[in-house]
Amino acid sequence: MSKVLGSIVAIAMLASSTLSFAKDITIGLSVDQLFESRVGVTDAIKAEAAKQGYKLIEVVADGDAQTQNSQIQSLVTQEVDAILVCAVDQNTIERALIGAKRAGIPVVAYDRALPDSRAVDAFVGPDSISDGLAAGQHMVDQLKGLSGDIVVLELLGALNDQNGIDRSKGFNDALKQLPNVEIVAMPTDWDSARALAATQNAFQANPDIKAVFAATDTQIPSIETVLTDIDKMKSVGEEGHVVVTGVNGSNDGYEATRKGFADGIVVMDLALTGQTAVHLATALINGEKVEMTNVIPGSFYTSENIESNKATIWGAK
Amino acid sequence: MDRFKQTFSSKKWLAIALATLALGIALSLVSTAFLTFSNIQSVLVQASVTAIMAVGMTFIILTGGIDISMGAILFFTSSLFAKIMVETGSYSMAFTAAIGCACLLGAVNGLLVVRFKIIPLITTLATYTMYRGMAIHLTGAQNIPVPREMGFLGNGKLMGIPVPILLLAIVFVLGLYLLNKTRFGLYVKAIGNSEQSARETNLPVNWVTILVYVIGGLTTGIAALILLARVGGLQSGIGIGIEFTVIAAVVLGGTKLSGGSGTIVGSVIGAVFLVLIDNGLNLLNASPYIYDIVKGVVLLAAVIIDKVSFERQAKHLLEQKALRIKSTSGVA
Repeated sequence: MSKVLGSIVAIAMLASSTLSFAKDITIGLSVDQLFESRVGVTDAIKAEAAKQGYKLIEVVADGDAQTQNSQIQSLVTQEVDAILVCAVDQNTIERALIGAKRAGIPVVAYDRALPDSRAVDAFVGPDSISDGLAAGQHMVDQLKGLSGDIVVLELLGALNDQNGIDRSKGFNDALKQLPNVEIVAMPTDWDSARALAATQNAFQANPDIKAVFAATDTQIPSIETVLTDIDKMKSVGEEGHVVVTGVNGSNDGYEATRKGFADGIVVMDLALTGQTAVHLATALINGEKVEMTNVIPGSFYTSENIESNKATIWGAK
Repeated sequence: MDRFKQTFSSKKWLAIALATLALGIALSLVSTAFLTFSNIQSVLVQASVTAIMAVGMTFIILTGGIDISMGAILFFTSSLFAKIMVETGSYSMAFTAAIGCACLLGAVNGLLVVRFKIIPLITTLATYTMYRGMAIHLTGAQNIPVPREMGFLGNGKLMGIPVPILLLAIVFVLGLYLLNKTRFGLYVKAIGNSEQSARETNLPVNWVTILVYVIGGLTTGIAALILLARVGGLQSGIGIGIEFTVIAAVVLGGTKLSGGSGTIVGSVIGAVFLVLIDNGLNLLNASPYIYDIVKGVVLLAAVIIDKVSFERQAKHLLEQKALRIKSTSGVA
């Protein structure tokens, strides 16, 4: 009898363990490459996945679209339950994403939208147009009273990055309010060294530049270097101050704004982006319907209120 | 005329010098902002990072090698510097470690090239990946600010001259001396002309090869500190891809990618030329989309000119040889 009981218990245990094994959810996380803000979102995704008790397989493509393509294929082979992807390049990874769709694996794009993809089920990321608009609006408020032609320098992100393009669009839309503004746009490819050279050249060509917009606030220290070079380094409120705004929320941007060198920055909500990505994946795994596009606008902080909001700024150390 | 041709072909850097001058004149005609003291100074400061690295790269390319990992060495060196600065606050320790490490990473490249005889392009492509990975691992892909006083290396002036320009001048003069006035410089060119003959004549080929990669690492280390100071802190991926600008500067300067022939002067002017293109496009307020196209076309033109002149030279040499054979057979 005890033998029978024992085997029943054993079978029950086995069943429950397979049952719980079946409930184990694995998320595949495909990251384009590692840099500060990306790590911020990735960490938020990992934390939320851990909270939900999910297993997570993370792959990083080092900025190479072909690598990402094969990494996603390998996630499909490993039969993950959902894939979260931040794409290096939409077209190159589409084949792998369609492979995931065929295998019935839901795909959530995060941070970088894949509007033309036939495989993506949902997107969560920044509202880059509104972020650019907010940074532009504050600049407009500072420059409004000036008479004569106003030259403004815009440091662009990468020309093929949707977030860079949208920030620029929002920023330019905001500056349309000023009738007498000329925007000098310089490409930087998100690279601070290029931003440095571009700022230097721009100030050589136009010593009278009144404001600088940085598509990423990690480039603000480079602007600081150039203004120091040409003796134009003045704080907010001082005579001759060059208005500086940016988007991101890194420590560079936080420190520059806190010290009053920059007027204000838009801080992206990386934690919420990461959490939402995992929640979307959960809903899709459970077969629920989700909104296709989920954007999270950033918050704008000025040199006056940034320090009191330190806790909400992902990069602030 | 022949004499002019002779000088022209013996002083390879003249072509890039003339091109730079022409571009400078053109720019000063279209923009009044160009020919000002502060703009010239700003061009030189901007060129300093790539120009310093180009001095190192010239030595490597002269031996027939190449170093694709320079950008990654720059990234790792600046990561190490920033990390040590943050943790210990000691400048001397950070400087020593960063420069020492840059030389060490260069030495590893050299050792691998010499020991395993894999072509330098592949060897340094592998170490590029490795060094970059090490840098990301060391910093966790985080940005690290460096103290503002370090800005002296990037913004400071000594005797009225910006520090980056002074550092470039020192590296330039040392490079010139090493290449043209020492036996080491002679060996470097000899290896590039024919490694086999160099070995047959018992030149210390291995040592010289390792040393040129160390020089490449050292110049990269110096450039890294300037860039770090100017950018204001470590950014993940800083310097990645810079090696292509450096190689472009060296090639534009008239150094042959196959080794054996080239000058430091040419490479430094090449670096200035590339900055001038950027500077010019900026001054003209050109569309952001055409920058890379213009640079690509210029580089292509330089390589094509180099190739054509090489073929012409080779043809000339062959003709001379044929003549000599003819005349000797005539005697017989």
